[in-house]
Amino acid sequence: MTNHDSTTTPPVESAGSRRLAAAAMVFIACACGWFMMELEILGVRVLVPYFGSAVYVITGSVIGVFLLSLSIGYLLGGWLSGKLNAWTLLGVVMIAVGVWQCGIPFFSEPVCNAIFDLGLDEKWGSLLASLVLFGAPTVLLGTVSPTVMHWLTRQASQSGFNAGLVMATSTMSSFAGCVVTAFYLVLYSLRATLCISGMMLSGLGVIVLAGVMIWSRTKQGKGQPR
Amino acid sequence: MKKSLRYIVLAGMMCLVWLWPAGSVCRGALYSMGRVIHEKNSLYNSIFVYQEGSVVTMRFGKRAGLHIQSQVDMENLREHLLEYSKMMFCGLLYNPQPKRMLVLGLGGGVIPREMRYYFPDLEIDVAEIDPDIPPIATKYMGFKTDDKLKVYVDDGRMFIKKQLRRKPVPKYDIIILDAFNGDYIPFHLMTREFLKEVSGVLDEDGVVVANVFSTNQLFDAEFKTFLDVFQRCQVFFGDLSGNAMLVSPGAKCEVLTVEEAMDRAEQIQQTLELSFDLVEVASWLDPEAVPDLKAKALTDDLAPVNWLREQETRSEKSSGAER
Repeated sequence: MTNHDSTTTPPVESAGSRRLAAAAMVFIACACGWFMMELEILGVRVLVPYFGSAVYVITGSVIGVFLLSLSIGYLLGGWLSGKLNAWTLLGVVMIAVGVWQCGIPFFSEPVCNAIFDLGLDEKWGSLLASLVLFGAPTVLLGTVSPTVMHWLTRQASQSGFNAGLVMATSTMSSFAGCVVTAFYLVLYSLRATLCISGMMLSGLGVIVLAGVMIWSRTKQGKGQPR
Repeated sequence: MKKSLRYIVLAGMMCLVWLWPAGSVCRGALYSMGRVIHEKNSLYNSIFVYQEGSVVTMRFGKRAGLHIQSQVDMENLREHLLEYSKMMFCGLLYNPQPKRMLVLGLGGGVIPREMRYYFPDLEIDVAEIDPDIPPIATKYMGFKTDDKLKVYVDDGRMFIKKQLRRKPVPKYDIIILDAFNGDYIPFHLMTREFLKEVSGVLDEDGVVVANVFSTNQLFDAEFKTFLDVFQRCQVFFGDLSGNAMLVSPGAKCEVLTVEEAMDRAEQIQQTLELSFDLVEVASWLDPEAVPDLKAKALTDDLAPVNWLREQETRSEKSSGAER
């Protein structure tokens, strides 16, 4: 049933392992969707002590920066997906975002104070702070969906279904991350939540990269995983 | 025949289901404060202004059971219809001659207006986040700005941060924290980091007064936070309402016993010819009050304010009598 595109991939995998890998891909898209929304909601808690709870901070700065960064990430992900190994890219993205997230509690204070000292008001100040703190990790998280869609798609006719599948599952997971963070994670320390989530995401990234290395060792000579 | 009976029962049940909420809406209307004379959906609140005779009431949202923000008798502005606004005068017991006052949260503007009435030279700064509140307080509730009474449309914490960046830092004798409405609690105005910023604009002879509700665990957490930051904190428990005042005096200011508080209230009552009984307010001081032992101070890192508010107080009243 697998539709190998023999011009780009040697037919090295069985249908079963291919299905397992596809499930892992969708799982990664879901995990990144969850952590993206978690970061967005925690981002409000990070910024409010420095820029107040004016409506601009929450709706304008945080949500705005996330949308902007995601769109850049989508573009970047779409471009990179044709050039890099999907698993390597996802592993690196998850490790980088996780490490960044662990760092936010440590650099949010100096960054926000420095921006406040620039004399920017709560609108532009919080927008800039949001961009500095959350822009880079969100761009990286934005690359995940197009990469996963590209990997799943072996035939042009599948592309719509795969895009729909990835968007639906990762957005559903974003919804869950949103609710859990807003309803329950607020009962825990912001620093601890950011660090633990960052470590979980990095850990997942490390597992993926380790998998890539083991795979390429065992399959040496037979071709790289696509 | 049997079938039609089933339909009737079903219809009856549906009526009940509908009548239940409808009934509670009607019950809410019974407690209403007259007719709505103004409504405005602002950036932060849906503001409703009611009028019944000469009494004007401001509320956020229409639901029954929501807290009243402010209530004013337009024919007798000196009368305090809500207990908490006269309780806020307890700051005067610690500093009877204030020169500069800061109020976070304007509402109907009762506190700045009354302080202006008794202290014509007092400089008053008010920070209010909602740009639609000051015009409504001015138009319907007898509030007025003047040369020495200014309203800044700003988040309370931002306002204080900006004051701290000025040189020299302006200091206030009385700082009133009243930026809460029924449903929304701004966590960033309750944390240790925020109160440290507040202490930066507090005069040595000054006093911080915070309006809180004493009926849930949020009260204990706030009380604990005040103690952490200011070392000293006294509480006045309202008589009729669940309101309580957390009062922390500045470094050079003394804490009071009930007798001292009532003596001072007596003096102030006579000099200012207050329209309400400050001695009674002073008698509500509970010098023995301590926060619940399990209460944790609120920080920017962890301030589950909404959750704490839903939790009932562990002891009946956080007084020294608890075991």
